[in-house]
Amino acid sequence: MIPALAVKNYTLDYATAAGPVRVLHDISLQIGPGEVLGLVGESGSGKSSLAWALMRHLPDNAREIAGSLHLGDIDLQRLSPRELTRIRGRRLGMVFQDPSTSLNPTLTIGRQVTETLIQHRGIKQREADVLAVDLLSHVELRDPAAIMRRYPHEISGGEKQRVIIATAFGCRPDIILFDEPTTALDVITGARILELFARLREETGVAALYISHDLALVTRVADRVAVLKHGRLVEQAPAAEIFRAPRHADTQALVQAVPRPERRLIHDKSSDEVLLAASDIEVHYGRATLLGHAPPPATKRIGLDVRAGEILGLVGESGSGKSSVARALTGLAHFSGKVRFDNREITDARDMNAAYRRDVQIIFQHPDSSLNPRQKVSEILSRPLKLYGGNTAEIPRLLEQVRLPTSFADRWPHQLSGGQKQRVAIARAFAARPKLVICDEITAPLDVSVQAQIIELLLALRAATGTAFLFITHDLNLIRQIAHRIAVMRRGEMVDLLPAEDFDAEHVHPYTRELMAASPVPVG
Amino acid sequence: MIELFVRLIRRPQGLVGVTLLALIAVACLFGQALAPYAPEKIDFLGRFRPPGWQNWLGADQFGRDILSRLMVGARSTVPMALIATFVGSAAGAIIGVGSAYLGGRTDEAIMRTNDAVMAIPGLLLALLLVSTLGNGAGNAVIAIAVAFAPGMARVTRSVALNVRNQDYVKAAIARGEGAAWIIFREMLPNVMAPIVIESTIRVSFAVMLFATLSFLGVGAQPPASEWGLMVADARQYMYQAPWGLIVPAAAIALTAIAFNLLGDGLRDALNPKDER
Amino acid sequence: MSLAWFARRLLLMVYTVIVVSMLVFAITQVLPADAAQSLLGENATPEMLAALRAKLGLGAPAWQQYLRWAGHVFTGDFGISMRTSQPVGPEMLSALSRSLLLAASSILVTLVVAVPLGVVAALRQGRLADTGVSLIAYLGVSLPEFVTATLLALLLADTLHWLPATGYVSPLEHFGDGISHLALPVLTISVILIAHVMRMMRSETLDVLKSDYIRAARLKGLPERSVLFRHALRNALLPVVTIIGLDVGYLLGGIIVIEEIFAIPGIGRALMVAIAARDLPSIQAGALIMAATYAVTNTLADMAYAVLDPRIRYD
Repeated sequence: MIPALAVKNYTLDYATAAGPVRVLHDISLQIGPGEVLGLVGESGSGKSSLAWALMRHLPDNAREIAGSLHLGDIDLQRLSPRELTRIRGRRLGMVFQDPSTSLNPTLTIGRQVTETLIQHRGIKQREADVLAVDLLSHVELRDPAAIMRRYPHEISGGEKQRVIIATAFGCRPDIILFDEPTTALDVITGARILELFARLREETGVAALYISHDLALVTRVADRVAVLKHGRLVEQAPAAEIFRAPRHADTQALVQAVPRPERRLIHDKSSDEVLLAASDIEVHYGRATLLGHAPPPATKRIGLDVRAGEILGLVGESGSGKSSVARALTGLAHFSGKVRFDNREITDARDMNAAYRRDVQIIFQHPDSSLNPRQKVSEILSRPLKLYGGNTAEIPRLLEQVRLPTSFADRWPHQLSGGQKQRVAIARAFAARPKLVICDEITAPLDVSVQAQIIELLLALRAATGTAFLFITHDLNLIRQIAHRIAVMRRGEMVDLLPAEDFDAEHVHPYTRELMAASPVPVG
Repeated sequence: MIELFVRLIRRPQGLVGVTLLALIAVACLFGQALAPYAPEKIDFLGRFRPPGWQNWLGADQFGRDILSRLMVGARSTVPMALIATFVGSAAGAIIGVGSAYLGGRTDEAIMRTNDAVMAIPGLLLALLLVSTLGNGAGNAVIAIAVAFAPGMARVTRSVALNVRNQDYVKAAIARGEGAAWIIFREMLPNVMAPIVIESTIRVSFAVMLFATLSFLGVGAQPPASEWGLMVADARQYMYQAPWGLIVPAAAIALTAIAFNLLGDGLRDALNPKDER
Repeated sequence: MSLAWFARRLLLMVYTVIVVSMLVFAITQVLPADAAQSLLGENATPEMLAALRAKLGLGAPAWQQYLRWAGHVFTGDFGISMRTSQPVGPEMLSALSRSLLLAASSILVTLVVAVPLGVVAALRQGRLADTGVSLIAYLGVSLPEFVTATLLALLLADTLHWLPATGYVSPLEHFGDGISHLALPVLTISVILIAHVMRMMRSETLDVLKSDYIRAARLKGLPERSVLFRHALRNALLPVVTIIGLDVGYLLGGIIVIEEIFAIPGIGRALMVAIAARDLPSIQAGALIMAATYAVTNTLADMAYAVLDPRIRYD
């Protein structure tokens, strides 16, 4: 039987000013008809390059050194541009990572679905309209006729991804490439998209290449999983096996790095002494302007307390208000309500004195923006030392503390990787010897292996200094590994605040249960 | 600085811009000494003499050497544009940073008014001011500076607001840094680069605007050999002696191009991400 | 997009015109220590000065003078020209109509030339056509209007005798003659606008072509023709509306020079004549009408953009 897709000894280089860089080494893989192959790798592993090679959409500096790419009996590398337009979308579909940028903002949804149908199925506009409504209703979009008339910005991210999936399935292709289709979506929305994919796959029997950085997620949707590292295929195995018995060392490391709620990383109990108590916190962004009203508060009378040495998790989807809590507690946003810290009552950012500023530190999500590009690492680290009465001679110690070479003091931020920048930000926070560190989604932009190292570092720092953490994240599995207690927020309200071990119990809020169900727990 | 300069001239556009500007600088500083003739020296035998070994770039209606007038005139053209741009940019930057720092309703009121002032075309505003203050090079410089300020205020404010929202500024606020540190050490170094680039490009507009004012008779006054004035003088005789027109026109255009190229070159060179 | 947004945008336009009127008034009548003296010059007799001061109401505080003037302007009364002793308003408005004809023709020429060139430059990025277009654009923005005007006149009128060098003939009366008289001024203004719009069009097209949705359209198997015309061009063209709206500012400034050089009796020339003659009511009227024209076109451009771009929802 001819495989739906066959990659044989494929090797790809990118030509750069510094000479050729190999991105794919001798890749061979096959996908049978109706089979789903998961392709897992971290950023820079070459997984997207393989997708672009298959779609014949490589950048100009790409050099195909060896190997072949076949779709059924079609040699993809030999297609003329004209033949290519008959293959793309028709035989080989694709679903993209970010649905919000993949649809043309100035064309209606209907137009963008039907143009593909007209192109590939040779039907008239009127038939295409009828078919499109049918396809959209099949991806569980309510009122598809109305959606057809809307523009992309008028529907949600999840709805956009459904539209793209409907378009991809609409021409009944042999195989569809999924490039991280849920990464840009919220956890629950992403889980629904995966359910949809499973159903459509069952109904249509389409084959798929499912690309993701998330090993746990891939094992749930794929029949087989291939692991890519630095452009090499290190392991291919049935999805059920890869977690249970990873053979290759790189796969084992990847499996190790995947957060699993049952594998707790902290074993001590926090003290009962309350370090910080916040009550009735409402965060307000912007005031009324000359020509507009003030927006509603981002959080609705939130109350929480952090105990000395505790790790308190704060979980929620984007827009839930979890980062607003962090900004209120660090005086970066206007708030109403009270914060009690070290026997002092704080009702406004102005009440936050130097002692509070020193004791409560914050680390931000985006390492690129949290370090001033015009200051060297040494200057960045010297500020908290000067401000809170430390000595700049401590800088090497601070760098060692976050496991960076002391020579990094002379570097500019743009000379560091994302993980290294985040370490510098951590060193800056710990330079103040704080009692509480607020981590605002600090691992979200990092690869799982880097994330695991950062988490390990934070726990080591906590063991050494006794610092408490308010750890804000969207990743429930991760926080269940490290937190003593976990708070769950939705649309500005706190729906749960429970000890981590109670999260398997029945008494969590329905929303929390939904969140848990949507967080992919590894198979096996 | 040396590092920056090397990065600047490594690209062709930066190299061409810097070379042209070096020539212009030489003309501004030593034009008087280097010029082959005195700029006012009248030679009735040499009226409308075409470019040749006697007058390299030709002579005008009084037989004055155009090259000499051009070299001496550089000093009454380019420094004026530089001063006007500098004053206008500084005023605009203060308004822009101040507005971004004050924020809220004050910011909105300042910027709406600023936009309203921008509704008066630059040349018109300059003309009105000069007609009130009186003709002359000095007043033209003031008028250009005033006409430039609102545009610079707009650019500076948007850059400052963007920097203000970066996490490193938030980090500085959160750790309790004073306003002076935040503005001068965290924000200003990141705001300066775009302002310098924008101002450099604006010098080319100032050169053109100043020449235009002189051309219209309200900027530099005869017998100065300001370039716009030279074009205006030569217009009457452009059929007999087109070189009298083309040479100063080319000088204006080359100066404008030089500052444009320098601005574009600086934009690339000042980007720290290229430092790897 | 809502009615409230349109209302606010109109309000902003009114505010702009008010600020502009204050500024124009302040520069022309308040800034000079003695406006009457500076208007009449050195040789004025005390009687003449007193008469003029009374006429302009110079004795009153500045804000009263402004309100008096603004009140008259609001009812369409711009005062009497000190040069011709005719009402200023009608004279300026008929001059404006000739300038608008010049401006509109220039914008039309600009769009017809600059948009295709910009798109071609983007599609041929880095190749000969792109480099050529970019160099011409660089040159275009580096030449002041008076230089372009003079060089074009030298070439097309004095050397080749294809076009009349100066003067104005209404195209409504003599169509052919009118057009040939308009050609040089329109060409001159267009050179600068074309350079600017072309650069913008090129970078917009490049941005759009790099976007995810263009990639998505290609990978859906759409032919290059529909990718380009249906998906890319429309989005790249949208910002041009705003750019044209903003360029009207340059255009009006340029018109002053162009009309002066080509002797076109438009508002720019009227303004220059008024400045030379120190005709205060005419200067004020001319400056205000020009700035108001810009405020109105800019508002219209914003509104057109809001209507054309479905993404924009102002509430």
